[in-house]
Amino acid sequence: MEFRWEPEYLAFRDEIEVFIHEWRTPELLKEQREREGAGGGPILTRYYEALQEKGWMRMCWPPELGGQGLNPTYRFIMVETMEYWQMPYGNLTYTSVAPALAVHGNEEQKKRFLPGIWNGDFTFAIGYSEPNAGTDLAALRTRAEKVEGGWIVQGQKIWTSLAEQSTHIWLAVRTDTEGPKHAGISLMIVETKTEGITIRPLPTLSGFVTYETFYDNVFIPDENLIGPLNGGWNIIMHALNHERVGLSPTGNLARNYDLLVDHLKNKAPEKLADPVVRNRLAEMRMELQRHRALAIRNAVTIAKDDVSPGQASMAKISGSELRYRMTNMAMDLLGRTGSLTAEAGELAASEGRQQGNWRSSPILRFGGGTNEVQRSIIAARHLGMSR
Amino acid sequence: MELDLTETQELLRDTLRGFLEAEVPFSQVRECEIEKKTDTRLWAQLAEQGYLGLPFPSEMAGGDGGLVEAGLLVEEVSRRAALVPIVEVMAASLTLKRKCSGATQLLESVLSGSAIVVPAVLEANDSFESFALEADAEGVLRGEKFFVDYAEAASHHLVVARDAKGPALYLVDSAAPAVKCEPIETMGRTPQSRVRYDGAAGTRAGGADAVDYLIQIARALTCAQILACMDSSLEQTVAYTNVREQFGRPLATFQAVQHHGANMGMHCESSRFLTYEALDCLERGDATEEQVAIAKASLSRAIPDVVMTGHQLHGGQGYIEENDLYFFTIRGKDRALAWGTAEECLEIVARSAEEKSRWL
Repeated sequence: MEFRWEPEYLAFRDEIEVFIHEWRTPELLKEQREREGAGGGPILTRYYEALQEKGWMRMCWPPELGGQGLNPTYRFIMVETMEYWQMPYGNLTYTSVAPALAVHGNEEQKKRFLPGIWNGDFTFAIGYSEPNAGTDLAALRTRAEKVEGGWIVQGQKIWTSLAEQSTHIWLAVRTDTEGPKHAGISLMIVETKTEGITIRPLPTLSGFVTYETFYDNVFIPDENLIGPLNGGWNIIMHALNHERVGLSPTGNLARNYDLLVDHLKNKAPEKLADPVVRNRLAEMRMELQRHRALAIRNAVTIAKDDVSPGQASMAKISGSELRYRMTNMAMDLLGRTGSLTAEAGELAASEGRQQGNWRSSPILRFGGGTNEVQRSIIAARHLGMSR
Repeated sequence: MELDLTETQELLRDTLRGFLEAEVPFSQVRECEIEKKTDTRLWAQLAEQGYLGLPFPSEMAGGDGGLVEAGLLVEEVSRRAALVPIVEVMAASLTLKRKCSGATQLLESVLSGSAIVVPAVLEANDSFESFALEADAEGVLRGEKFFVDYAEAASHHLVVARDAKGPALYLVDSAAPAVKCEPIETMGRTPQSRVRYDGAAGTRAGGADAVDYLIQIARALTCAQILACMDSSLEQTVAYTNVREQFGRPLATFQAVQHHGANMGMHCESSRFLTYEALDCLERGDATEEQVAIAKASLSRAIPDVVMTGHQLHGGQGYIEENDLYFFTIRGKDRALAWGTAEECLEIVARSAEEKSRWL
């Protein structure tokens, strides 16, 4: 047992921080806020190019997929550091679509899509969820019927986030209605501007706008089927193991704490001197360390190439639930200032970050496999409780 | 970051577990509880097998280990709910070895089992920072200590006293007539005493830094004790819900039951990390007071949630003392109160509120 980071990881963190401080300008942050993580703005495009040049986005991928095969701990360090400084380090196009294409796509598809992904020309929205297929995703019903040279798609997706800003949709469709429901799903790529696709914005609680997409006689050519016909479920379930590190980062929560204390120090020193307030802050510090324990535990297991679904679930639950508890406590300590949004300008504390994170906390808790599903996974696979 | 035990540590844990399971049936623990006595038979065995020397150097016939090994020893002993002064002796003797001088002979006797030294810290004011018990220039102690664990079984007390230089540690022969132990009854059912030192002769063993070290390692080792209670309660609960059937199916197949189990499991997992991180960092000398306080606060907060959920899932079965569950309930909560409650520890953490948070 040794509870300290090896010098190479600390050196890597320092290297990332140097890079961050070079790029973290008010202009970049503004563009990031406005584009809501879609990438593609002029500053972000240059930023992503610089990230690519560093090789950090694919450093843990196996060499045969174009990576450096580095230990997943490097990715953990990067995610935590970027999260602490609120810097972008890739969206689902990079972390979900690109790895799946690299593993399941054929040579022609890899040539056609991967370079565009790496240079930022292509961005993908994910078309999995449907109004009646959420946690039970295999129940999806958007239908693809075989026609000459391709497929005709009819149906509706929800949570097709970034659809408006994306060039492509990574679409899960039903290609077989017989047999078990997960065995009749295929994955296809469709260009967003294809005739028959309608995109409708759905503003969410956090202020982020997601999209509903409708598919009315949409033609998808044969060459856009990814992997085997009816083999989509495996692709959906597949994720490179190393991407599972840092799924529930401590960095972002720690940053919330540090910003809260900075605000109190500068704007409300009498509050910061209050023993009751300090006790609440102590509690947050304790909760942060509890979560950090689970996040590092999970990352270290993955770095050893061990699989422990229970530990990943624990980190996911703890990070997502701590997010609302911590931001809630922070808003209580700020008083009515806690409700000010970024639009309130100078009056707002940390640009309204606590209330913003509080509003966005539900999606982390129900999304990515609801915490109820995660708890059942822990019970069955970590504790050995009967199903 | 290496979070797994080394092969040697794993072997040590397994050997200890096998040995203790064979030697300490819960019936023996119940007997000790009823008779309000220390399990001297087990203590002699632990000494004889060399386990007490685990964190001491080999020239003292020790095992060349550190606080992590001491933590494993504490954890395994506590999994049997055994009534022996394992945390007390480890904390006192490691403090004597590392922060004091002149106690070599006593330490040899402690490791061989012929002497037992336990700390005497708290007073009526329940504080780890201010002490009324005084030592005069000749080292004569006058005053009273409360909640001295295993005071009667001990041959020596390592007493925190105030002298001309501030708080200090004094070794006192507890058989001296000027030392009067009065047993106190607590929920944890472990032997504890209120001790009066009416002009007892003491030998100064160390100053304020030794007092501080004693508190830090006792606090971290107490975490290992609480962790053992948590883990045991969870293990027993999983085993029980897997076999106990209601409505024609095992309790564990109900989602509500699974989710309670998952919450217990998460507490155990984060507690294990925080406990051994504190012990490992203390061993290397780079633990902060805040870090140890966070570990103790976190475990002290978690233990009632874990053991009470264990009781909820056991229903009536776990409420009966024939069932072993209660050991971990009462010992766990008692230890949550020892060496700094969650509230006391959070007060320590609050002093660092302005410091940047630790996220990596």
